[in-house]
Amino acid sequence: MTAAAVASPRVLVLGVGNLLMRDEGIGIHVVRELEREEWPERVTVLDGGTGGFHLLSYLCEHERIVMVDATMDGEPPGTIRVLRPRSLTDMPRTLSAHDIGLRDLLESAALLGAKPEVVLVTVSVAEISGEGVPLSTELSPRVLRVLPEAAALVRGLAREVGRQASA
Amino acid sequence: MANRIVVDPITRIEGHLRLEVEVKDGKIVDAYSSGTMVRGFELILKGRDPRDAWAFTERACGVCTTVHALASVRTVEDALGITVPPNAELVRNLMFCAQYMQDHVVHFYHLHALDWVDVVSALKADPKKTSEIAQSISNWPKSSPGYFSDLQKRLTAFVESGQLGIFANGYWGHSAYKLPAEVNLIGVAHYLEALEWQKEVVKIHTIFGGKNPHPNYLVGGAACSINIDDANALNAERLAKVGSLLEIAAEFIEKVYIPDLMAVASFYKDWGAIGGGLSNYLAYGDLPTHGYGDPEHFKFPRGVILGRDLSKVHPVDGKNDAEIQEFISRSWYEYGSGDGDGKHPWKGETKLKYTGPKPPYDHLDVDKKYSWLKTPRWKGNAMEVGPLSRMLVAYASGREEVKEVVGAALKQLDVPVTALFSTLGRTAARGLETKLVAGWSKEFYSQLLANIKNGDTRLWAGEKWAPETWPAEAKGVGMTEAPRGALAHWIVIKDRKIENYQLVVPSTWNASPRDPKGQMSAYESALIGTPVANPEVPLELLRTIHSFDPCLACAVHLYDEKGRYLNQVQVL
Repeated sequence: MTAAAVASPRVLVLGVGNLLMRDEGIGIHVVRELEREEWPERVTVLDGGTGGFHLLSYLCEHERIVMVDATMDGEPPGTIRVLRPRSLTDMPRTLSAHDIGLRDLLESAALLGAKPEVVLVTVSVAEISGEGVPLSTELSPRVLRVLPEAAALVRGLAREVGRQASA
Repeated sequence: MANRIVVDPITRIEGHLRLEVEVKDGKIVDAYSSGTMVRGFELILKGRDPRDAWAFTERACGVCTTVHALASVRTVEDALGITVPPNAELVRNLMFCAQYMQDHVVHFYHLHALDWVDVVSALKADPKKTSEIAQSISNWPKSSPGYFSDLQKRLTAFVESGQLGIFANGYWGHSAYKLPAEVNLIGVAHYLEALEWQKEVVKIHTIFGGKNPHPNYLVGGAACSINIDDANALNAERLAKVGSLLEIAAEFIEKVYIPDLMAVASFYKDWGAIGGGLSNYLAYGDLPTHGYGDPEHFKFPRGVILGRDLSKVHPVDGKNDAEIQEFISRSWYEYGSGDGDGKHPWKGETKLKYTGPKPPYDHLDVDKKYSWLKTPRWKGNAMEVGPLSRMLVAYASGREEVKEVVGAALKQLDVPVTALFSTLGRTAARGLETKLVAGWSKEFYSQLLANIKNGDTRLWAGEKWAPETWPAEAKGVGMTEAPRGALAHWIVIKDRKIENYQLVVPSTWNASPRDPKGQMSAYESALIGTPVANPEVPLELLRTIHSFDPCLACAVHLYDEKGRYLNQVQVL
């Protein structure tokens, strides 16, 4: 069954990233905000962490996915963008600096016959651990400031895609 | 003049290791392995509550996630003198086994098989012949000509769409691929089946750990409660689910993974003489059957083998400061006592001092410091860790069931025991231990059910939970075997807070730079002599490195903002 034919699609709100790598963990920070709220049964709010292959079952079991992740796209830190990739080839290969090759996973899901619709929320980040920058769980001020806005955006998108009976 | 190949990053799907190797006359003559991202866990953990450390260390990696939590809770328990109840040990063992089965199968099919299996060649296979071969090696039911024919059509459509996707990174058509088209098709079929299979097996982590990825652990026990009638507890239904997942896991390993491993290996026996590298092997051991405090009764025994001498197993003591030490003479750190020094992890220091080239760079300055990984040594010796080390230590310790499966595999392939010391041996050892783990997991499961039936539902020892019960100072070490090899955490607790915390992870043992004596670590050493037919497509190099199952997510964290992948190989 394709996603478009589902009357009440199951929605996955997925934050990915590494909580230990400063701004890289913004996706997890957003999900932690949303986890505190009440959601309908068909909505799963998931801290995907650096889950890799562990996330495949979730990708296969939901028709709609709202994903939030950090990106280093050269925009000013705290810039929030919404991407709606029409096909897997539109997906960035890796968004940022954590382990998960999300496009690899979506391609794997497609091989198993699952083609969830994905909306991607990216937050441009300033500081991640890297050459000479050690681990930390703190967000940089400019990214911390947009956390409520990012959470509100993801919340709205989750409701929107959950309502749509067809794409 | 030798050619230098740079492969950065090296893992197929998740990667952040940089290798620089030199090729001369079709063989690798020199190799440098670098972790290009700093970690510094101690900096994040210092001053925190020791009972929370597992939740941070677990985030080190998405693949080894549970093993860091396990090492961490054991470390704190060791420091505080806590013994967990038998059921908690069993729950931990079951999570450990689930992790091994999932991780090793994923490694074989999704991270390593495509070094041996040519996906594009599978398009030319004859489905009928494929079916005959599949049925000759296993009674796995999905083996009809129609099944393989349908699969081939799906695969053809996928390839013709121009979206090779996860298959895009292979070196299809390379002369080093030796499998007949039909065996390639079996490999691809099981690649897809394994994807489907693995997403079920990991649900064991959700049942015991409340969530996955990053399941919950607990100092003193397991983070769940047993009540067979309670909807929210580990109840009869959930326990039955674990039992059925273990059955499904074991059947796939027995009927798909092992037959495929043997079939593929039989075409690549020459790899039983390539990629051996170091001759020393270290295993901390794991899977306690009489509690973590009694390593003699671990399913995977603890010990060291030196010089490939299987007649002697040396004991290992994580607390002896003359045994495990970390060196930084070739790593971007500095020690207060000087760069040549080796430090036991309890006295470990993490003072960053980057002296490498300013990125982006073409080459590391490999004559100086060239990695963010420290270099661990056991009594000054470079050690390989991982499945091969575990199987060799168990074999040399005289463990009958291990000797049996290893002996049978050697006989089936008609290769001598020395073939174990190789790229092929490493890959085979991983499969053989998976088979053993699948069997052991059923023993642990039966024991857990028997305990519950007898009225023992204890999962947590809470006597020393409150910090007021702790001594002013305490030190601990927690050892485990991650799928990739020996893993240990060391903690120093002072005034009820973490004073020092050090991780020595498997990929640090295997992927670290040279030590002050110039001795190579496992990756570098194993690459020497590995043939490279075409430096532009160094498939052979990947075989040897992938045989270790590199997961630098464990050792150092990746950065890949340019999205550079395996197929971008520079030849300089």
